[in-house]
Amino acid sequence: MRATLAQASLIRHRGRTILAVLGVAIAAAMLLDMVMLATGMRESFRELLLSRGYDIRLAPKGTLPFDTDATIPGVGAITATLRGNPDIREISPVLGGSIHVTSGGRDVSAAVIGINPAVQGDYELLSGRDATDSGAIVANDYLLAKLGAHMGDTLAVATGYDPQTRTYSGQRKLVLTGRVKFIYGAAEQSGTAVRRETLEAMSPEKADRASLFMVRVRKGANPDSVRSWIETNIPNVTAISIATAIAEVDFRLSYFRQLAFILGAVSLFVGFLLVTTLVTVSVNERAGEIAVMRAIGVSRAHVVQQVVLEGVAISLAGAILGLGLGLVTARYLNAILSAFPGLPMAIDFFLFQAKAAWSALGLLVVAGIGAGIYPAWRAASLPIAESLRREAIA
Amino acid sequence: MLLPLLSFALILQAPAPSRTPQRTIAVDEAFATQAHLKVGDHVTISARPGVPASAAESVIVAAIVRRGADPSEVARGDFVTRMHLDQLQRISGYGDRVDRFAIATKSAADIDSTLARFNRVAFGFRAYRSRDIAVETSRTFQVVSRFHRAIGVITIVASSIFLLCIMVLKVEERRRDIAALRLMGISRASVVRSIVTEAALVAVLGSALGIVIAWIGSLFINWHYQALYRTPLYFSIITPPIVVMAVGLSLLLGIGAGVLASLRLVRTPPLALFGR
Repeated sequence: MRATLAQASLIRHRGRTILAVLGVAIAAAMLLDMVMLATGMRESFRELLLSRGYDIRLAPKGTLPFDTDATIPGVGAITATLRGNPDIREISPVLGGSIHVTSGGRDVSAAVIGINPAVQGDYELLSGRDATDSGAIVANDYLLAKLGAHMGDTLAVATGYDPQTRTYSGQRKLVLTGRVKFIYGAAEQSGTAVRRETLEAMSPEKADRASLFMVRVRKGANPDSVRSWIETNIPNVTAISIATAIAEVDFRLSYFRQLAFILGAVSLFVGFLLVTTLVTVSVNERAGEIAVMRAIGVSRAHVVQQVVLEGVAISLAGAILGLGLGLVTARYLNAILSAFPGLPMAIDFFLFQAKAAWSALGLLVVAGIGAGIYPAWRAASLPIAESLRREAIA
Repeated sequence: MLLPLLSFALILQAPAPSRTPQRTIAVDEAFATQAHLKVGDHVTISARPGVPASAAESVIVAAIVRRGADPSEVARGDFVTRMHLDQLQRISGYGDRVDRFAIATKSAADIDSTLARFNRVAFGFRAYRSRDIAVETSRTFQVVSRFHRAIGVITIVASSIFLLCIMVLKVEERRRDIAALRLMGISRASVVRSIVTEAALVAVLGSALGIVIAWIGSLFINWHYQALYRTPLYFSIITPPIVVMAVGLSLLLGIGAGVLASLRLVRTPPLALFGR
């Protein structure tokens, strides 16, 4: 009965209801997008860091991984120290640099990492074979397309380009054995990987040095206590746990999180205001009708429920429409932000999570209920006799 | 003095004055605050972490500087130290090298010819216009700007629908007044005109209030983000074109909604508006 009356009231002013639902839908879309932006970015980054199971990264003191060209000396000694901690299960030293690759008359510069393929956590092998021997190199699709190279090709690879003399300090012929996807790589970034020993041999100044160590801790061990232990025992590194890295990203991108919070709050408020206005006007128009209902014995609670139901119905219809709209706009906005220079491809600013959608929907329904309370209170407290008299005079 | 491009030059605390004349450095304000440094302090510097203070070079903090507004540095939180070029080259093992030269030409007209001459004869390096480098380094902000524009469009669409809805409702609320006016013999055109004028007035007043709220919001946003990122950059600026666009849009929507709703109401027989 209450639902039927609420439905009748909304249908009576179809145009107005459609406009309100549309307004709420856009507010809902914005709200969903902002909830996705506020939580998705951090979640996406956390998933990225955890994707290969490494809990701690060691970078040169005072820097973030690959934030500068600095390297950590004494890979052997550091590895031995780390092995002394029973909570550490796996260690993957990574040496970064840049190379020039020549193939078919083309000379292309690319980023290179020197790794141990058995424990590397930087890329996924898409096809072919990993760089298991010292004469092998693996590359990403972006570089392969630039070079026009194919699996099995021999590439002339060089490091240490001196622009003054236009010579290289280290040159090697390497066989392209695999196609890989770099987990932390940006979309338009040429990337390669070789064994660390190969890169060290090509760049003697980087012998026994690493740009980064990735450390996996034993299951059940506390990564934060291992991190503290590392910083105490190896003073020339900064140990970064997942939590520390996320805190740093949170700071750097706090602007987006706060923007999401502000715009989300504004969207919710706009939706709330829209529904309140609509239902209030509707109640004012039906003052006589409500007075008649009250006069024939319809309870206050019944009137309140009917009016609140109207608000909830508009909010719910808008929210459902808005969720679809929100997913489309989130995709569009994510495509814009994905163009950030150097941003790993795997990072999504707008990550869809069921929890985010439920949160947005829940907030809107609560706002819908809240929006109906004031007009419902007004409707329920209308003086019956006076309202009827005013209606009769009108 | 050179802005050190090698980010691994570190400063260690070591209040050990030396007998030989000491070199000086300038540190940025944020670093000085965090490291509790003041002008005249003696510190030791090294390009590598973990070097004992006795093996590092001692310098005097000669100045504390405030960095200029550089959008590409926002949110990075890096500390910058300025030191003498030869000293930086020595401690970093960089040799007689620099990362870049900055060149000022006598007149702006010379830039193209100077660039062309450099790039024709230079061996081992390339010359760029500062403006082109600025475009490249501000790519991050171009992305943010595109994002803001997209968010702005969505917000405008949402506000337009909201305004339209509110204005239609406000006019519809007046159905009995309109019916009374019509029954008194006031022409349809006069009724439409009065409603549209009223709608326009409401839109202008609403816009004025909106501008005041936006101005206060803008002050708060700048205060908050300038403190958060320790930068003099402005994050929110209300410009005359923005004000004109906002007022114009709300006026347009107000008038549009007023016209739509009033035309619908004046076409309805007055008695029907009374519910008879």
